[in-house]
Amino acid sequence: MEFTIGGFLAILGAANASMAGIGSAWGVALAGMAAGGVISEDPKKFGPTLMLQALPGTQGIYGLLIAFIIMNKIGVLAGNIAPLTTAQGLMFLAASLPSGITGTVSAIWQGKVAATGVQLIGKRPEEIAKAMVYAAMVETYAVLALLASFLMVNGIQI
Amino acid sequence: MSIVKMNKINIIGLDGIKTDLLKRIMDLGVVEISSQDSKLTDPEWVSCVKKDGNEEEVFTFDVRISQVSEVINSLEKYDTSKRPLFNTRKPVTKDEFIKALDQNDHVIEKVAKVLELNKSLSELCTEENKTEAAILSLKPWVQYGIPLNITETKYTNIIIGTIPAIVNIDELKSQLFNATDRCVMDVINSDKDQYYCSFICLSEEKENILELLKQYGFTPVTFKELKGTAEENIMQYENILKDISVKRDAVENGIKELVSFKEEIQLYHDYLVIERDKIKILSNMLKTDTTFYIEGWIPVECREKVQKVLDEYQCWYEFKEPQEGENIPILLKNNSFVAPFDSITELYSLPTASNIDPTAAMAPFYAIFFGMMLGDVGYGLMFALGCFIILKKFDIEGTFGKMLRVFFWGGISTIFWGVMYGSWFGDGLVVGAKYLFNINLPISYLWVDPLKEPMTVLIVSFVMGLIHLFVGMGMQGYMLIRDGHLGDALMDVGLWYLFIIGPILWLAGGMIIPGSPLPVIGKWLTIAAAIGLVLTQGRAKEKIIGKLTSGVLALYGITGYLGDVLSYSRLLALGLATGVISSVLSLIGSMAGGIPGKLMFVAVFIFGHTLNFAINGLGSFVHSARLQYVEFFGKFYEGGGDPFNPFTKKTKYIKIKEEI
Repeated sequence: MEFTIGGFLAILGAANASMAGIGSAWGVALAGMAAGGVISEDPKKFGPTLMLQALPGTQGIYGLLIAFIIMNKIGVLAGNIAPLTTAQGLMFLAASLPSGITGTVSAIWQGKVAATGVQLIGKRPEEIAKAMVYAAMVETYAVLALLASFLMVNGIQI
Repeated sequence: MSIVKMNKINIIGLDGIKTDLLKRIMDLGVVEISSQDSKLTDPEWVSCVKKDGNEEEVFTFDVRISQVSEVINSLEKYDTSKRPLFNTRKPVTKDEFIKALDQNDHVIEKVAKVLELNKSLSELCTEENKTEAAILSLKPWVQYGIPLNITETKYTNIIIGTIPAIVNIDELKSQLFNATDRCVMDVINSDKDQYYCSFICLSEEKENILELLKQYGFTPVTFKELKGTAEENIMQYENILKDISVKRDAVENGIKELVSFKEEIQLYHDYLVIERDKIKILSNMLKTDTTFYIEGWIPVECREKVQKVLDEYQCWYEFKEPQEGENIPILLKNNSFVAPFDSITELYSLPTASNIDPTAAMAPFYAIFFGMMLGDVGYGLMFALGCFIILKKFDIEGTFGKMLRVFFWGGISTIFWGVMYGSWFGDGLVVGAKYLFNINLPISYLWVDPLKEPMTVLIVSFVMGLIHLFVGMGMQGYMLIRDGHLGDALMDVGLWYLFIIGPILWLAGGMIIPGSPLPVIGKWLTIAAAIGLVLTQGRAKEKIIGKLTSGVLALYGITGYLGDVLSYSRLLALGLATGVISSVLSLIGSMAGGIPGKLMFVAVFIFGHTLNFAINGLGSFVHSARLQYVEFFGKFYEGGGDPFNPFTKKTKYIKIKEEI
C-alpha cells in the first residue's frame, strides 16, 4: 500500500465525519447531568429521562455512518486503499464537513434542549412527547447534514 | 373521524335521592359534572343557592386512602411472588365487588396491623441509627482503659478530648512538660482529622492545663451517662443492635405473612377511592335546603341512557346545545384502526370544539413515515410481534395501551418498507446465512435499494411530503368551507395549491412526461397563481398600497413550503441510518474467521441489532411525530381543548365489570 496525499485526505475526511461524536458525547453528558438531578427526586423517571438523554447521541452515529461509507468506498475496510488523486481526497474531505461540523454543533445544542426537556418531565412527566419533539427540532439539521454528506460521498467517482 | 358532539345538561332534584342518583350517574360514567364556582359570584344565584360539598369528609377519606396506599406499598416491597411485566387492573364483577366489601372487616383489621408493623419498623430503624451513631463516637476510644464515668480521683482530674490533626503533637507535649511535670498525657488514637487524647493531672492545676490545651484547639469530650470502659459500652451497644435486627426480622416476617391479603386490600383501596369521589363531586354541585343542582356535559349519543335514570328518580332536567364561546370538553371517537393514534394527537394537544379531529388524516401517514424511517423487516417484526404479544397477554389501558397499538401498526408498515428496500436486519440475514451456514439467501429488494439509489428514494420522500402537506392544507380548506368561508378557502388554500404545483410542473414537467406541454402549463399556472396571491393575500389591509405589499410579501411563503418539503428528506436519511449501521454490524461480525469468528458474528448480531433497533425505533417514533406536529398540524390544526372528564369510577387496581 502506497502513501498518497489523496488517500490521507480521504481518511482525514472519514475521521472528521466521525468526530461528530465529540458533540454527541457533550450533548449526552449535558442531558445526563440534568437527568441525574431529576432522578434524585424521583427514580421512577429513569426510563423517560434516558430516552431524552439518548437523543443527542444520534449525531455520533450519523458521523460514524459517513466515516464508514467513505472507508468502504476507498477500500480501507477491505485492506487495500484505492490509489486516490489529491483532488479526490479533497472531495472526500469536503464531503465529510457537513456531517462533522453540523453534527458536532447540533449535538451540543440538542443536548441543551434535551436537558431542559429532562427538567420539564421532572415537573410534568406527561409532557415527554413535547420535550422529545423540541429536541428533534434541533436534530433535523444533523439529519440534513447527514443527507448532504451521504449524497456527496455517494457522488464522488473513483 | 370526529369530535364527539356534546350537550349541556342541567339537573335539579330533591335532596333525598341525591346519593342514589350520583351512584347511578357514576355507574353510567358518561356525565361530566362541571364546577359551578362562577355561579357563586353571581348575586342572582347566590341569593337562592349555596355550594354543596363536605370537605371534612373528603379529607378523612384522603387520609385513609393514603394510609391504605402506604400499606399496599409496603406489602409490595415484601411480595416475593413473580410480578407481571405490566400492571393491569384486575377485572371484578359487580357482585364480587359487593360481596368482598360485605366481609371487609378483616381487611380493615389487616390494614391496621400492617400500619402498626410499619410504625414499629420505623421506630426500630431510628433506634438502630441512634445506636450505630453511639458506637461510631465510641470507636476511637476503644484503647482507653479507664471507665468513662470516672473523671476524677481524690487528688487528680482526668480530661479526655480531641485535638486537630494539624497540631504538632510533640510540640504540645514539650509545652506541657515545661508547664508542669505532674501531668500524664496519652495519645489514645488518631485519624486523618484529629488526635484522641487523655490527660491525668492534679486537680489544682486543671484550669492552667486546660488553658494551655485550648491554644492548641483542644475540645473536651464527655460520656456522662455511660458507665464502664469504651470497649464494654461498644459491646453492649452491639448486643442492642443484634436485638434490634432480631426484632426487625420478626416485624418484617409479620408483614410478609400479610402479603397474601394484598389483593383484598387493593380492592378496599379502590372502594375508598370510589366513595371519596362520590363525596368530592358534591363540591361541583349547588344546593338549596331541599334540592340539588347539577350542571355538566354529556355526549349526545348517551342522552337516552341518562334520561331513563333521571326519569326514574323524577328529576327535572334539560339538554341544551352548547352556546358560542363555551369551553366544550373534547372526546375523540374513531374507528379501531385510527383510535390508537388519538394518543399521538393527545400528546400534542386536543382540538377545540370549533377545530377538527386530525387523527384519521394523520394515522396512515404516521404509520407510513414510521415504516420508511425504520424500513427493516426484522425490526418491523420485532415491533409488530412484540406489541401484539403484550396486547394479547395483558389488558393494558390508557395511553400506553394505545401507544402499543400505534407501534404495532408502525411495525407492520416497517415490514412493508423492509420488503420494498430488501432490508432484513439490514444485510445481516443474507451475510449471516452465507457466513455461518454458507447458504445464499435469494433476498432482494422489491422496489429499490436506498443505499445504491438514494436519489430515487429522496424524490419519493419529497412526493410523500407533498401529499402530506396537501392533505393538511385540504383540511384547512375543508374547515373554511364548513364554516362558510368558501372565498377564503379558494384564496388561501386553492391558490397555494396552484402556486406549489405550478413551479413543480414548470421545472420538472419535462422529466415526468417528456415532450409534453406540462412545463408550459406549469409556467402559466405559476404566473396566474402568483398574480392571484399578490391580489388576494393582502385583502385584510385597508389601503391599496398595503394590500399589494402584503400580497407580494406573501409570495415569500413559498420558502416555508420549500422548507417543509425538504424536511421530509429525513424519511430517506433515517432509513439510510438503519441500513448502514446494519451493514457495519455485518462487517464487524464477519471480520474474524473460524468457529470463534462465527460466535463473534452471533454476539455482534444480537447486541448490535438490539442497540440499532432501540435507537432507530426511538428516532422513527420521534421524527414521525415531528412531521405530524410541525409540518402537518402547522397547516391547519390548533390544539387547546380540554379533555372530557366524566364522573366515573377512577379505580387503580380493579376494573368493575358492569353486567349487561
